[in-house]
Amino acid sequence: MTRAARNVVAILSVAVLTACKVQKSAANDTADTSGPQATSTAAIGTGGPSGARIAVAHAGPPGEWQMPAGDYASSRYSELSSITPQNAANLRVSWAFSTGVLRGHEGQPLVVGNTMYVVTPYPNVSYAIDLAQTGQPLKWKFRPENSQQAIGRACCDVVNRGAAYADGKIFYNLLDGHTIAIDAATGTQVWRTKMGDLSRGETITMAPIVVKGKVIVGSSGGEMGVRGWIAALDAATGKEVWRAYNIGPDKDVKVGPKFKTFYAHDRGKDLGATSWPGDTWKTGGGAVWGWLSYDPALNLIYHGTSNPGPWNENQRRGDNKWTAAILARDGDTGEMVWAFQVTPHDMWDYDAVNENILVDLPIKGQMRKALVHFDRNGFAYTIDRATGEVILAEPFVPMNWSTGVDLTTGRPSVVETKKTAQDKNVKDICPSLEGGKNQQPAAFSPQTGLFYVPTNNLCMDFQARAVTYIAGTPFIGGNAPEKGGPGGYRGEFIAWDATTGKKIWGIKEPYPVWGGALATAGGVVFYGTLDGWFKAVDARNGKVLWQFKVGSGVVGNPVTYTGPDGKQYVAIYAGIGGDMGLLIAGDVAANLPYDVRERGTTLPDIARWTSWGGELFVFSL
Amino acid sequence: MSGKRTTLMRNQMGRRCLLLLCAATVVVACQRAGERSNASDTAATAASSTASGQNAASHLLVAGDSLRFIEHPENLPAGFPSQTKALLVKNPYEGDKQAISTGGQLFVGYNCLDCHGAEGSGAMGPSFQDGRWHFGGSPGEVFESIYQGRPDGMPAWGGRISNDQIWMLTAYVRSLSSKDLSTENFTGKTVERTGH
Repeated sequence: MTRAARNVVAILSVAVLTACKVQKSAANDTADTSGPQATSTAAIGTGGPSGARIAVAHAGPPGEWQMPAGDYASSRYSELSSITPQNAANLRVSWAFSTGVLRGHEGQPLVVGNTMYVVTPYPNVSYAIDLAQTGQPLKWKFRPENSQQAIGRACCDVVNRGAAYADGKIFYNLLDGHTIAIDAATGTQVWRTKMGDLSRGETITMAPIVVKGKVIVGSSGGEMGVRGWIAALDAATGKEVWRAYNIGPDKDVKVGPKFKTFYAHDRGKDLGATSWPGDTWKTGGGAVWGWLSYDPALNLIYHGTSNPGPWNENQRRGDNKWTAAILARDGDTGEMVWAFQVTPHDMWDYDAVNENILVDLPIKGQMRKALVHFDRNGFAYTIDRATGEVILAEPFVPMNWSTGVDLTTGRPSVVETKKTAQDKNVKDICPSLEGGKNQQPAAFSPQTGLFYVPTNNLCMDFQARAVTYIAGTPFIGGNAPEKGGPGGYRGEFIAWDATTGKKIWGIKEPYPVWGGALATAGGVVFYGTLDGWFKAVDARNGKVLWQFKVGSGVVGNPVTYTGPDGKQYVAIYAGIGGDMGLLIAGDVAANLPYDVRERGTTLPDIARWTSWGGELFVFSL
Repeated sequence: MSGKRTTLMRNQMGRRCLLLLCAATVVVACQRAGERSNASDTAATAASSTASGQNAASHLLVAGDSLRFIEHPENLPAGFPSQTKALLVKNPYEGDKQAISTGGQLFVGYNCLDCHGAEGSGAMGPSFQDGRWHFGGSPGEVFESIYQGRPDGMPAWGGRISNDQIWMLTAYVRSLSSKDLSTENFTGKTVERTGH
């Protein structure tokens, strides 16, 4: 496809032309050998032999990055292939940009045409950066009105996970509960809609997607006793089109005639309310602060829901539907089509909001329309995305709270001694409440058929206690000190085969890998670490090809794009924060003279390796 | 502001309070004008002190700097140093072990813990263990922070819980600040590294 176009541009530079030749031969090598580690899933690449396939095409031209994960499938895969295992060692910084904001830079920039769009953590400033000019000057800068009160209502730092582009507009959420649309050309606000209520602890941190002219957004606040929702706004006007709660009666959660879920125990009237004692569902959490996916062929939006509130399970006996669940909703109306509760009656803070990656996978000789989900609870699920049937579920990190998932019911078998309980200190539960994986999104490469997954290896003691709901304050009722998991490492970047449920390789890291992954057709996978290393690794075998120490710990997600000069660039935010960087790594801040925290024990000496920052780094060959 | 300076100021303030305690007034004014020191409630609750402060404030709307019923020594005055001293509000429970213990229970019961961390170690909200204060650490200032809230998300508890309880919370969070965390020295330490 654009490889030809890119080569034309590359003629301008002999060096680049040479690189492209190298890249072509590398791609051929990959196709021929499929890599020693790729097991049963043959490499296919674009136009290759039949095998694993990303369900939805990349949004826009391959050289752009128009939506949070690059496509509706949440694959974080790019067809750009100039950077290869052979030349990745030559990567260097092309330019950098300070966002002017500290704290956790989760999320990723967008690239549309020759413009890059950056959204910062609170106060959620956005920048349009002109890539076509030397020195990358701004086209515009937008500073939204954004209530300061939001800072103290956000549980886990004041992060923002990015924007979406559609129809000449940039859409993103403000921490104080607003969704806004900005004219991509001028930086002027087109509309602004209040979606969340700060006084009830509702903030918004997630990245929206745009589906059929509607902006899909969801609330944060699972630790604040919110009643979680997902909603659609008219992209042209900002008018709310529909809103579905994730807990409560069928009418509110949009369970109706379209609801045909796979497991029998998930069918029944008003389960979103009756699986809770009394009216505890009204403050039961189930927020939507993670990533969204969409399958246009099935017209289904997929999203996870957060933990039930409070953490103290004694106050909410029952399945607590539809918290800690993956929900499939109609792309036009938000009606629920299927639901799969990943962790029924969660008592470990295992939100199910992690990304749902939509791929077609060859499983046992049959192509399956799959959804692959690496859950906080430590299981990697391969699910039929049309029906919600769990095809397989295997642990992808060390875990001890469950012995496995019963595929006839989809429910995990819980180890009795790891059940948390009010006024008990239950020790050594793995994974910790940060999960085997948290918000850091995985990537998928159709070349190797593998998923590239940033993971945590932490365990916890869990002390639940009674808590009273007070609107606008945390509704938690528990304390869960964390420690490193078995093996002496706290995170691992792994390659995973979702057709068999097996880890293929892993790179152990001293700290949880809280940044996301990017897979590329060049056969190189990128990720950043909490202690500030940005790495390029060989997709086939996990060999680290190159690394660079950026200005702050990485909790963001790499993207790649083609610059106006035809070269492939890779961009990443540096800016430690989020739950891991703010709450767990207590001593990494330096700009708060009134808030000097003691070193945390969970991440020993992280402050020796990094401190708060807010920078965009862009690399190229 | 350095932690030491904050501590020093608190000590000075403590001494002032001690002196004023001799005056046997429950809510003590350091001001020469006795106008507002007639808060004679024997209950010694913040209800009385705050109410009197507020009444005084509205009464004195034309009286310039007398509006400052809680002293903020960390805020620099404009122009030459003023000889006028603001009303110093005293916590009736300062140093009262029973009240501090109750304050610790309230700290859990009102969900303060989940924002400010176990024993005020810092979480969503700032730490109380570092001897440093965003909005001032004197009893009156801490009371004020809890009573009226702060713009970064600290809820206003005034009128929601009793002022007596706010004073006990004040006593508790002030009792936490003890650690000098100014320097973090990593040299000579063995650092566990498995990744690189």
